[in-house]
Amino acid sequence: MNFSRQFLALLRMNLEGEGARLGSVLTIVVGVTCTVAVLVSMLAMGTGAHRQAVGDVHEDEVVVQSKGAQGIQSNISRDEAVAVRDLPGIAREADGEPYVDGIVLVPFEGRRRGTGRRVFFPLLGTSDPKIALRPPAHLTEGRFFRPGLNEVITTNVCVRQFEGFELGAKREVRGVDWTIVGHYDQGESLQCMVLTDAETLMTLFGRNGYNRIIVRLKAPSDYETFNRALEANPALKLEAKRERDSVEADFKQFNGLLNFVSYFIGTIMAIGATFGAVNSLYSIVDARRRELATLRAIGFGSGAIVAATLIESTLLALPGALLGAALAWIFFHDMAVSPFGFSFKLDVSPQLAEIGIAWALIMGFIGGLLPALRAARVPVTTALRAT
Amino acid sequence: MKFLPLIWSGIWRKPGRTILIFLQVSVAFVLFGVLQGLKTGVEHAVTAARADLLLVHGRQDFLFSPLPLGLLEQIRSLPGVKVVVPVELYGGYYQKEENGVGIVAVRPDKDWTDAFTFTIAPEYLAAFARSRTAALVTEFVAQKYGWKIGDHIPLVSRVAHKDGSTTWVFDVVGTFTDSDVNVGRYKILINYAYYDEARATGTGTVNHFNVAITDPNLAVPVADAIDKRFANSSHETKTESLRELAQAQVQQIGDLDFLIRAVLSAVLAALLFATATMMMQSVRERTPELAVLKTIGFTDRALFLLILVEAVVVCVVAAGFGLALATIVFPLAARFVFGLAMPKATVAIGLALAAAVAFVSAAIPAARAARLRVVSALAER
Repeated sequence: MNFSRQFLALLRMNLEGEGARLGSVLTIVVGVTCTVAVLVSMLAMGTGAHRQAVGDVHEDEVVVQSKGAQGIQSNISRDEAVAVRDLPGIAREADGEPYVDGIVLVPFEGRRRGTGRRVFFPLLGTSDPKIALRPPAHLTEGRFFRPGLNEVITTNVCVRQFEGFELGAKREVRGVDWTIVGHYDQGESLQCMVLTDAETLMTLFGRNGYNRIIVRLKAPSDYETFNRALEANPALKLEAKRERDSVEADFKQFNGLLNFVSYFIGTIMAIGATFGAVNSLYSIVDARRRELATLRAIGFGSGAIVAATLIESTLLALPGALLGAALAWIFFHDMAVSPFGFSFKLDVSPQLAEIGIAWALIMGFIGGLLPALRAARVPVTTALRAT
Repeated sequence: MKFLPLIWSGIWRKPGRTILIFLQVSVAFVLFGVLQGLKTGVEHAVTAARADLLLVHGRQDFLFSPLPLGLLEQIRSLPGVKVVVPVELYGGYYQKEENGVGIVAVRPDKDWTDAFTFTIAPEYLAAFARSRTAALVTEFVAQKYGWKIGDHIPLVSRVAHKDGSTTWVFDVVGTFTDSDVNVGRYKILINYAYYDEARATGTGTVNHFNVAITDPNLAVPVADAIDKRFANSSHETKTESLRELAQAQVQQIGDLDFLIRAVLSAVLAALLFATATMMMQSVRERTPELAVLKTIGFTDRALFLLILVEAVVVCVVAAGFGLALATIVFPLAARFVFGLAMPKATVAIGLALAAAVAFVSAAIPAARAARLRVVSALAER
């Protein structure tokens, strides 16, 4: 009871006196603001990229690749592809046709608008456009490609990011002109995608297999049935992953890099800002020596002084945390970036704001430890005698 | 010189404060060193990338448009071309699928190493040219997988032999290093002739040609001449120098520049604020002492300089300490772009920046100290 009354009285005194120490208080606020703003914005890259990556995932779809292979290394023969169609658990149309999409990937060159820099992205051949263009993906302009005619459709993102993707534009691949006949929207993704017929592409590139197969299951829970049948067939050297797991796996390395960089920079900035906070808090405490000595003389306990100073320093970190998170949101939320050749929008989510605030409170608390001890140890007699 | 003790005692007037400021400045410059070092390090790597080494590959893409080996003689006959080496790339693994190895098949013709960025000891070079199944391995991969000279290493690959087997056995005859940054370290060199003869499909084709030219300034005309030579044929080419490729790779990193600048601005803004507040406070607390100095004959200018030099010494020494730390942790941060070294220019820029921070943050307090009126300052006591 006595402790809490002393504590509250001290805290009130401390906070009311803050106005007189504006320089020191601002140092803490600015330091924390910068740290939190940087940390939150950088983490927002990771969350943004992740949101985009899993945003278009269909829970009932499964990605089949050859065992141990990644991306374009994977090669699934036509025989294997035919065998996959008969596996159990696959959703079927009214006429019994299974929802199985064989996909061929070849690199496709684009030049960025403005800078003209060269970027490669996949030209995707699909054997079953019903899956590749499953809602929310939909055609927004033009018409669908016709098999065998060297026609492609592209996402609207391509038109915005690269030169020469307008309707009717021709692009050369392997000495053959391909006409862009339609544009479509893909949902979350900011990646440029170019879609055409798998057979046409395989003929042109002399390929005799798919890079991967997308299978739509009757229900997400049919994955076990499907996977068991796939593994039980000795003729199939394939592995199946839920689309979500497959996307997460592809994404893990990129995300690990982003998070490492974010926390590396965030930690170093936090250490620097904490040193600054300690300095400021020392001078705040020093300015209060006489008041503290007086209070000690009339019976205030050192425990209450330590607690009040610690809470004070933690509270001083709070405005910086809120300001930093707010700045990150105002400047960077939904901003499109493309570091490491991969486009996505930053996502300053509430969880990130929470991380930033937690980070700031820890900085405030640690920064307050030493000054709080000094406040509690103010020698009563000398402090009172000092002018 | 006689002011040195005065500056020294000014710095250590409040040791706790000075140490904290010192640490804060150091930490800020650790970050500066690492980030700025990465940025300039990458730029340096681009300028250092060889302009006199051209890569000739299929026009459409790098990996899927094999070129016939027969183009070699036609490329060699073009003016400005010094050495042409056929290169085939494929992947394999050692024992476990996680142990990936990049296999580079080359033809060890005369002076073939001119067309690469490898450093190979002469005895290893000779041994490599002698045996068909010889392999040179990077020092890194040799250490990683415990390979020694004389070892027979079986690698499993997706490329099949004529008999259908996918295991390739090579004899390690030596090691090499590659000065090119950001290329795979898990790499071995083998003989193209052996590989081409043994493989089941794709005989007589190469992934690309490495071309060394006589004069780096001729890179563009020679590259154009090569591409023109094969224009409208069934195997059109695209020729680029290593430097152009490095530039393209850096452009892929794209917005990194903006990011680094934004982070460093935030760091410096916070630092400037902290040092300025501290200097302000320090001068305020020392008002009586400074007034005494004035009384005994210090000029306004001397006081101004005194305060300024104090700040500069602390900031620059702290920045130096931070940059030294950055040099130590740099390899850790540079593991994403390995082969990078911390550029010396970064250290110089960092120290200059620290001095600038000190100037800006100490200028106002120093001016205040200089304009001090002795009578009123002493009266405050």
